[in-house]
Amino acid sequence: MSNLKTGNAPSLSVVVPHFIFSALSFLCLTVFIFLTGTDVLGPYFNSKLLAITHLAVLGWASMLAFGALYQLIPVVFETALYSELLAKITFWIFAIAIFLLVYAFWTSAFGTTLLYASSLMFIALFGFIGNVLLSQRRGKQNIQSRYVVTAILWLLLTALFGLLIAINFRYPFLSQIHLHYLKIHAHLGLVGWFVILIVGVSSSLIPMFLISHSPNEDKLNYAYYLINGGLLLLGLDWLVLQGTMLIPVYWLSISLGIIFYLMFVWEVYKKRLRKELDIGMKHTLISVLSMLLPILLSLTVMLKLDFENSFQLRATTLYGFSIIFGLITPIILSQTYKTLPFIVWLHKYKQLVGKFKTPLPKELYSEWVATLQFYSYNLAVIVLILAITSNNIWMIRLGSCFLLITAVLYNLNVFKIIFHKVKTESIST
Amino acid sequence: MKDPDEIRVIESDLEQILYGVMDPEIELNIVDLGLIYLLEYDGLKKVVIKMTFSTPACPLGDAILMNIKQSITNVYPEFEVAIEVVFEPAWNSDMISEKGRMLLGM
Repeated sequence: MSNLKTGNAPSLSVVVPHFIFSALSFLCLTVFIFLTGTDVLGPYFNSKLLAITHLAVLGWASMLAFGALYQLIPVVFETALYSELLAKITFWIFAIAIFLLVYAFWTSAFGTTLLYASSLMFIALFGFIGNVLLSQRRGKQNIQSRYVVTAILWLLLTALFGLLIAINFRYPFLSQIHLHYLKIHAHLGLVGWFVILIVGVSSSLIPMFLISHSPNEDKLNYAYYLINGGLLLLGLDWLVLQGTMLIPVYWLSISLGIIFYLMFVWEVYKKRLRKELDIGMKHTLISVLSMLLPILLSLTVMLKLDFENSFQLRATTLYGFSIIFGLITPIILSQTYKTLPFIVWLHKYKQLVGKFKTPLPKELYSEWVATLQFYSYNLAVIVLILAITSNNIWMIRLGSCFLLITAVLYNLNVFKIIFHKVKTESIST
Repeated sequence: MKDPDEIRVIESDLEQILYGVMDPEIELNIVDLGLIYLLEYDGLKKVVIKMTFSTPACPLGDAILMNIKQSITNVYPEFEVAIEVVFEPAWNSDMISEKGRMLLGM
């Protein structure tokens, strides 16, 4: 048992604060969307939309990704987290930076406040990235760990671009307008950080949860080189050549990479032993499939199809929406139920198993609330897509309502899990 | 030292106990899941179990090991349980029993 790697899980105090902050951010995010519906239909470089987007990608998605990654490091790298103390310090700096950043955007304080917020954010991300890289150095090298490491390197570049844009607001030095750098910043973050991370981690978790063994990892390798190669070309092209004829090349490269990943998931799904999918896995697979939506939307934006100008603008908003709410959010909503109950269960019942009859991890939350959340979220996404497409403010309000309901239901279950009281029954032998 | 027949009876009893130990994620007991490679009782106080996990870094591994030891000592408090976790041969789905497949809806 000396080589056993199952006892590497970090302590509860490292992981759980990330889940709490993230759940509350999601609730705030849906309230903000509800309150500022019209801004969603406006140009994407407006302060309210920037505040909402950064709350979504940092407070909601990245905060949870950090917590989940600390928990998953033992699974993906087969080693313990390098430093729990660094993870705790990083959490607080990151949380303060998110508050400041969202406040700066919301109040259009693009000068000093934004600069302080971005600098703090860079420090927090640097701490997180260092901790993961140092863990990985002593862990297992495989395709999944390569994805995770690459994703966090893209995150570092994203943060660097964000910091440069913030410095430029205060002390202008960049040659192009902000919108130009924002495009690069957004793609590095959404594709480089989130998509690469999701592909890497899910390629380890989906086979585990579906009990599907030995899928062919060649497809994951092709996906890795195609997505990263395409993104590298995109960054260089936009940065150096300001967007050229190369656009179709990297669009095709990234799209093909995603299609290879979808083929991998399809193989896992076909080989699965667990035929009946729980609500969490259903939602995960839907969100994985919805990766096709931004591919199609980016095609319409790239080809500048002969639509009216305002539709081009909305197609761009819809493109960002489809990545954040079509892929990232549902995968978080669903995978929370595949991670948090186990984290809490292990902490509360590890010493009690065998001595008493203990509940299963899935009994720590309400399945009924999770099912309602699944339907309200899907309804919200469908209504909001239709609303943005048709430029309809009333549908935006309706979709925001469903989104708010989803956030309330999600928070109910998250706090039910976190504040679970130990329940045991004696074992009759 | 117990005679071979008694040893067989106790080993069968121990196996029944392991049927009560669940993998909390897969929600199937570890015997039907095919995680147990060897179960031996030496006729005195020692029980040796050689087993695996469905994945080398199974996050629930410690809880499963604790459950095995505790479940056995609940019935045989005098027994000493030695568990060796191995990953050769690696677990695969062919190791799930017929009953296990039925329970998983396969």
